[in-house]
Amino acid sequence: MKKRTMFVQVAFYLPDIVFLYMLYLSYKKNIPLNDFEFLIGLIICAVIKLFLHFSGFYYFFVRRIHNLSKNIQNLKQGKFVLPDMEFFGGGYLSDIHDEIVDLGKHLLKMTNSQKDEIDKYREVYNNIIYSSNSYFLVVNAQYEVLFVNKTFCSEFEFSQQALSGRKIKEVFLGQNDVLWNSVESVKKTGNEIILQKITLFANCRSMVFDIKISRVVVQGESQIVMVMENITDRIRKEYQISLINQITESIQRDEEIDRILFSILTAVTSGSGLGFNRAMLFTYNDELGEISGKMAVGPDSFEEAIQIWGAVQNENVDMVTRVSSYKVTSGIRGGRFYSDVVSSRFPVSSGNILVKCMTELHPKHVYDSWNDPEVDEEFRKFIDVREFVAVPLVAGNKALGVIVADNRFNNTPISRENIELLSIFAMQAAFSMESFTHLSSLKEQMEKIKSRQSAIVESEKMAAVGRIAAHIAHEIRNPLATMGLYAKRILQTIAKGQKNIDSIKHGADVIKLEVERLEKILSNVMDFTRLDTYIKEYHSINDVAEDTYNLLKNLFQERKITADIRLAEDLPLVKSDFNQLKQVMLNLIQNAMDASGENGLVQIETGLKDSKVYFAVKDTGKGISPENLSKLFEPFFTTKTNGVGLGLAVCKKIVTDHGGEILARNKEYGGAEFIVEFPVT
Amino acid sequence: MTKILVVEDEQYQRELYALELKDEGYDVDQAANGKDAVELVKTNKYDLVILDIRMPEMDGIEALGKILSRDKKIPIIIYTAYSNYKSNFMTWTADAYVTKSSNLDELKNKIKEVLENRSKSK
Repeated sequence: MKKRTMFVQVAFYLPDIVFLYMLYLSYKKNIPLNDFEFLIGLIICAVIKLFLHFSGFYYFFVRRIHNLSKNIQNLKQGKFVLPDMEFFGGGYLSDIHDEIVDLGKHLLKMTNSQKDEIDKYREVYNNIIYSSNSYFLVVNAQYEVLFVNKTFCSEFEFSQQALSGRKIKEVFLGQNDVLWNSVESVKKTGNEIILQKITLFANCRSMVFDIKISRVVVQGESQIVMVMENITDRIRKEYQISLINQITESIQRDEEIDRILFSILTAVTSGSGLGFNRAMLFTYNDELGEISGKMAVGPDSFEEAIQIWGAVQNENVDMVTRVSSYKVTSGIRGGRFYSDVVSSRFPVSSGNILVKCMTELHPKHVYDSWNDPEVDEEFRKFIDVREFVAVPLVAGNKALGVIVADNRFNNTPISRENIELLSIFAMQAAFSMESFTHLSSLKEQMEKIKSRQSAIVESEKMAAVGRIAAHIAHEIRNPLATMGLYAKRILQTIAKGQKNIDSIKHGADVIKLEVERLEKILSNVMDFTRLDTYIKEYHSINDVAEDTYNLLKNLFQERKITADIRLAEDLPLVKSDFNQLKQVMLNLIQNAMDASGENGLVQIETGLKDSKVYFAVKDTGKGISPENLSKLFEPFFTTKTNGVGLGLAVCKKIVTDHGGEILARNKEYGGAEFIVEFPVT
Repeated sequence: MTKILVVEDEQYQRELYALELKDEGYDVDQAANGKDAVELVKTNKYDLVILDIRMPEMDGIEALGKILSRDKKIPIIIYTAYSNYKSNFMTWTADAYVTKSSNLDELKNKIKEVLENRSKSK
């Protein structure tokens, strides 16, 4: 640059030098220039200088400014690497130019470092999205996959390359109508949609997701972003818990064991359960010494499998509800697979894989049944699948049967986790079966006890009838005997010809009295049996108590018995027959008076307890002997010599006819207490 | 003369037994309940006691125990309207158990039988 500048400066003074040289030469050779020639030389020199000056001005000034503005333009366009232009002559402009170039370099450095930063962030974000536990899937307006993250790929075992550009409907098999409609709607409206519990089936794997679908517009084109949360495990756990609950409930509800087992097998095969393709249950029959197929759940063919998986997610109904609507008779499909399993029999002596599983009480995971020596030819033919797992149903220390599960249709490898889960279900199944057996035998025992009890009750009843009959017999035999004796006596008197009228009259009187006594007994019995019509209205039990007491007031005074009456206020009314209740109270109070005797005390109390209105009558007598407590309310039971034994029996009948209860007990410090309770209606 | 105590709460029956037994030639005392009977046994010597079961104050079974505890040898006939205790009467150590009826012949025969047995064993 400097050289050039120097050259240019030299060139600029060159005409002057040539002119001076020519002047020197003319002077030396003594050829003096005339005025004209000198003027011409001067003019030529001036013209050359002017030319040089103008061409230099252009070159050194205009060009440089032009270049400067060009570089500024470059800067504006973000081209920070500027061409190092030739700036002749240096000076102020060239300094500016240098500064602009420097600025360009500086800006370049800055933008480069920013780009680094952005790239760094992009990498971080990409890594987050890429490896996030959530699944990211971006499709374009034609529903072709633009981006998927790593989690998505690894879960469904896709490679990113294999996915990009594919139509999303080809990725997810089955009819996800809810999903497609939502995606369509988001594409149209741009409104975000969140879907819950959507089952997706891809690459032989089925999983449950909560999906957030949103739209972004990139360079004028819509893209659909799907952020998916895998809730399969959660659903599975919820499902398992609800299933266990359901099974427990089923046991409590005493439902058919088949139903419980069926729900377990369904759980084993459901996508939200364990997701096995097929499940079979074999039970051990001790008497026949064989293992036989009990039930099976699973499709017959691959087409049916696809259909079921599609149907399940369309219904969007939880398995539990499906299972609970199951009935043994209608629930089991009679498919080929089912009938094959149910008709299968394997004698224990064959020692096949099921037998081994049962005897070893340990799960058997067969990876390759074609070549596994533990699988015999018969079972190989039967199961017809490469990989399967057999889990024993262990209860206590023995196996009740085996659950066999496989993935015949999607050939998914059986994971250890699934085997563990299956074992849990097998445990449930075994537990259910055992509980059921226990329950059945318990029920049998209960039935036996019940029938024995009812026999006891029956004999008790017979004994009571016997006692009643004895009482009646006694009651009737006494007057009959007296009557017979006196009738004979009269006859004898007449036969002897004695004219003892008084004696005859006495005999006839006795007979008359005894007849009256018999009639009274009969009418008491009849009254007792006739008690069944009541006129029920709402009455205060306190009114009944006061009314009854007023009836007996004189008797209390006469017999010098103190009445202690405690009536509770604001008692609910009792729907009752006033006179019948009065009869009850009258009987109880009179009994209490008899028991307390002269100078005794009778307590009459009303109240409300445990939402029951009650009245109690307490005496200060001897109390009731334990053996009599149970017979107290039996008809014709009495400890009195002048009673028929119907008073308390009548009380009990009236009270129970009112929906109430009557009880008798001994007070702690002597005397008896009778309590009558009525429910508040 | 053979002395008999009739224990019976039914007045008309008791009176009639007394009459009939006197006709048979026995000396008869009467008691209306177990308590009176026990008192009478204390002060009198009876050759036989006829006991009803159901009586006020003290019933026949209690009276039986009390009378026998004083005098083990005294013959006792249970005479009652209860027929269902008959099979158990041996445990009460009464000599005989007769169910009441309008025919006194059975009771009279039993009295004779019991008295004869007693005199034989003496």
